Amino acid sequence: MSKKQMISGSIYFLLIAGMTIVVLPMIYMISVSLKPNGALYEFPPRFFPKLSEITLENYQYILSKVQFYQNFLNSILVSTVTVAAAAFIAAALAFCLARFEFPGRRALFTFIMLTMIIPGMTLIVPQYELAVKLKVINQLWGLIPFYTAWVIPYSTFMIKGFVENVPKELDEAIYMDGGSVFTIFFQVILPLTKQGIASVSIFNFLTAWEEFPWANTVINDDLKRTLPIAISGFFGQHQFTQWGYVFALSAFSLLPILLVFLFGQRFFVEGLTSGSVKG
Amino acid sequence: MSFFQWDFGSVFHQPFIGIENYRDVLADEYFQIAFSNTLVYTLITVPAQMVLGLLIAMLIHGINRLKITFRVAYYLPVITSWVIASLVFKYIFNTEGLLNYFLVNVLQLTGQNIRWLDSRWGGISVAMLLGTWKGIGWNMVVFLAALQTVPLSLYEAAAIDGAGRVRQFFTITLPSIRGTILFALVMLTIGGFNVFTSIKMITNGKPGHQTETVLTWMYYKAFSAGKFGYSAALSFIIAIVLAILASVQFRLMKNQEQS
Repeated sequence: MSKKQMISGSIYFLLIAGMTIVVLPMIYMISVSLKPNGALYEFPPRFFPKLSEITLENYQYILSKVQFYQNFLNSILVSTVTVAAAAFIAAALAFCLARFEFPGRRALFTFIMLTMIIPGMTLIVPQYELAVKLKVINQLWGLIPFYTAWVIPYSTFMIKGFVENVPKELDEAIYMDGGSVFTIFFQVILPLTKQGIASVSIFNFLTAWEEFPWANTVINDDLKRTLPIAISGFFGQHQFTQWGYVFALSAFSLLPILLVFLFGQRFFVEGLTSGSVKG
Repeated sequence: MSFFQWDFGSVFHQPFIGIENYRDVLADEYFQIAFSNTLVYTLITVPAQMVLGLLIAMLIHGINRLKITFRVAYYLPVITSWVIASLVFKYIFNTEGLLNYFLVNVLQLTGQNIRWLDSRWGGISVAMLLGTWKGIGWNMVVFLAALQTVPLSLYEAAAIDGAGRVRQFFTITLPSIRGTILFALVMLTIGGFNVFTSIKMITNGKPGHQTETVLTWMYYKAFSAGKFGYSAALSFIIAIVLAILASVQFRLMKNQEQS
């Protein structure tokens, strides 16, 4: 074996070892969800269930409860509406910031950047007062506008970079042909930046799908909960926590994210990195 | 809000009390505990994530096959939601959990189960481990993209000049990806101060508010104690701290570029 082969062999070894450690907790989660939901903690704990004890009873329980279907639909609804609204608003905002000179443009952009630095959680108290005033407590409509507002700064920042890559000459050609600003936005900018919008949207979907603190604060009704809140609802309501159910529902709620991620992997990575590398 | 005695439900009586909320926050023993917990969390998880993320990015950058597989696998923790990841860690680190079994019965390192989640630094350590585990993938992807922009010719020239791999790393790789390092540093520092869900799910501040972070403490004061004014003041303090930290980090990087 040459020296080069030795090096590449040890690189693969390191990467596989690291990967095993990284995915171990997730495998354990699936493994617990396949065990019977009997004792609080089994002794001795096994990493993998015995073949004879593998059961789908936790999944059957989850699928037999109407509440969880409703939670699932809530999460889907909240995430997709957030993604659609944010994509449209952020694209329009990015288009205006990238293409037009207007008073306060710089100030607006700086303001958007500033809101990116301050973590959303620190605003939870004034936001709660706002939600009370708007009477959206305990409603899904109390989530969507807030999530949309949270993801817009980052989305705008990302999409702006993509808009700036579209040559300005295209705009001018359209004006010459008698097109309006809307023609440019809908027929040039949107189609040409759709990759950027897609990558940002995957990110936004993830944000809305897994958001916990705000949904936990605003929603108290079982049927109006989103999935993360439904999962945390297993704690405290029973005498002891039924971990099998917890992890079955967790696995169930990871599925859409996994699908979105695997299909959009290419966009996802591009969207993440375009801002960091250019800037 | 932060300048008023704004308690939950007191719609009509919210007297202006000036900076009293701010004084309360800063003098509060529990805020000080929460703040130092958050600071330790940030100081440890940020470098840990960056170093491990960069290391894995460099390893993946150097191979030809299975690149996508590794990238996807290392990214999985990032897309796992905080709630789920926290619960898995809580389960593993539980006193009767898998890790203690492994330490006590398999490796026989200690005689009795360690109560990870029942002490200040035990709880914080579990949260830090989770934060690092979850953050490596993001750093890996960001650094991988940066490494791809470093021209190969630089390395070839250095190799001809007789620079070894370590030397190449410090004189070529690191300076070339400086922009990305800054970007990651700022984002992760913000993320470190933002730690909430993991603590809330794993320890919920127990025992006796010893494992609170600034945000879980703020949340507790607002929604369990009803002190909205206090929490608004606390939020504002955190925002200021973050703004200062971010601008200092940007300055430092700019100075380095000029020299």
